[in-house]
Amino acid sequence: MATLLPQETAPKRPRRQRPSTAQIGATGKVRSVGIVLVWILAAFNIGALVWVLMTALRSHRSIFESPWGLPIPPVFSNFTTALVEGQFGVAALNTALLTIGGSITLLLLAAPASYALARSTRKVSGAVFALFALGMGIPVQVIIIPLYVLLEKMHLIDSLWGLFLALVGAGIPFTVILLTGFMRSLPLELEEASALDGCTSLRTFWQIMLPLARSGIITVTTLNAINIWNETFLALVLIQDTDKQVLPVALLNFIALQQFNGADYGGLFAGVLVLVLPMILLYIWLGRRIIEGMTLGASK
Amino acid sequence: MSLATKHREVPTSANKSMTNAARRRASATSESPMEKRRRRTFWPFLAPALVAYAVLFLGPAVASFVISFTKWDGIGTPEPVGFENYSRLLGDSVFRQAFGNTMVILLVGGIAVFAVAFALTMVLREMRGRKFIRNVVFFPTIISPVVLAILWGFIFQSNGLLESGLGSLGIPKGPNWLGEHLFLIIIIGLVWINLGLYVTILMAAVDQIPVYLYEECALAGASAWQRFRYVTLPLTWDVVTAAAVLWTIGSLKIFEFIYAFGGTTADMPPTNVWNSALFIYGKTFGGRNPAFEFGYASAAAVVTVLAVMVFVVVLQRATRRDPIEF
Repeated sequence: MATLLPQETAPKRPRRQRPSTAQIGATGKVRSVGIVLVWILAAFNIGALVWVLMTALRSHRSIFESPWGLPIPPVFSNFTTALVEGQFGVAALNTALLTIGGSITLLLLAAPASYALARSTRKVSGAVFALFALGMGIPVQVIIIPLYVLLEKMHLIDSLWGLFLALVGAGIPFTVILLTGFMRSLPLELEEASALDGCTSLRTFWQIMLPLARSGIITVTTLNAINIWNETFLALVLIQDTDKQVLPVALLNFIALQQFNGADYGGLFAGVLVLVLPMILLYIWLGRRIIEGMTLGASK
Repeated sequence: MSLATKHREVPTSANKSMTNAARRRASATSESPMEKRRRRTFWPFLAPALVAYAVLFLGPAVASFVISFTKWDGIGTPEPVGFENYSRLLGDSVFRQAFGNTMVILLVGGIAVFAVAFALTMVLREMRGRKFIRNVVFFPTIISPVVLAILWGFIFQSNGLLESGLGSLGIPKGPNWLGEHLFLIIIIGLVWINLGLYVTILMAAVDQIPVYLYEECALAGASAWQRFRYVTLPLTWDVVTAAAVLWTIGSLKIFEFIYAFGGTTADMPPTNVWNSALFIYGKTFGGRNPAFEFGYASAAAVVTVLAVMVFVVVLQRATRRDPIEF
């Protein structure tokens, strides 16, 4: 696990000064075939996205007759179907509330803990860190049964508060581990200076460390938001009421509904779009950060 | 001892490059006021996260272990049954299949992901538009697995994208993909959605390898395979093993992508595509008539997690190499 720490300060590879003639990967025919395959894969991913965008604007009948069609003329009523019949409107609101509330709560809980773990030289901090790391290896399916019973005793089944607690619990290990890595990479000097100037520990943390760790905080909060937005399993178990449903489960419910009301692919893909579009926008906005956050965790 | 004295002990020029271990050594001999303050605030800073984690995560994890030795429907009192749940698992063909599927996803899926990811990395390193391709290949990583499963199902269902696409080109119908080869389709789908993450991880590692090593390869007349075998692989080994652990843990968490092939919230997919996660759900809350076999499902969870933990330890032992400096 120790190797999974992010290192923001990893040395950058020196830029190549001159075009090197040395081949690194495959050469010749293998390489040409590889390049073609890579572009096919990329085209597939882009194609899938474009197809979803277009299909969300087509009527069920035309999709059913030919899945390869253009949205001419566009059918915007699909979104009404999804939002009203599929109850994606309520679900989107619930999911947004949980995403914002959950990722902020995770940050408030994990940031001080990560700071303490990153700066402490005591033996016990290593043990506590290992305890958090252990949680990264335990899937939620393993804790769901006792968690369900616990929340039931607190009358928090079928409640957004219960789901909120479960999401926070499940997100703590990842948040603490990633943030601790970021905090460790920050310089000590400013902290020492602020201590000499007579700042309290809390103020040093709040006014010196948090602004310094801003980059790590944005990354970890973004990743948590993505995780909570897409989380399905906990919601599936802990929520039954359709008024309290989250988007991925609303999508599954909508498919179930279609078995009785007749299929509506147009409405279905409009619903898919409600779930996917915020992630696309987030990816366009913070893509580099998301990729680096998820990647640096494993490399080095 | 004051902070200033501590600084005199350690030359300031070396201060920046001081490692954590060196700091630890320095603080062992002299405790600065800074250290004292850290000591005082350690537990108050840690407590909120630790308490939440203990109540909402660690506690339930331990409780699962205890519950696995009982027969319990979640309402009455748990009735201790010793190892009965575990011996029942051994004879349960549904569990054996689910556990086997988990291992197939872990091993076959894992090998496929790493092979394809390495192949892509090799092609991508010197390619134009590599950043663009990386971003596009990575993209499914942040999309809900439910959506990806719906899309994947739409491609392979009868009269779906694949069939009607091939049909318009005059190619006859293939097999009934979702009916007869569902698990294969699921594994290929899992490779597709996970590929991006591992490509970016490997690309970041390969980028760290200095170019002069490959120039030397060119001088020595090494083939592409030799370049991979004797330069690229050894120099990215640490990252590859860390990524392998990441995949192992991640493969255990796969649930939604398979579950969505059941089609509805009420129906589970056929048991021959279940993995351990679906087995646990199927024996407790899932299906039209939930079984609520809390003890039995907990035993399945414990078996799976222990098996994978053993696997991780073996993996780390087997892949341990002396670090290569470059």
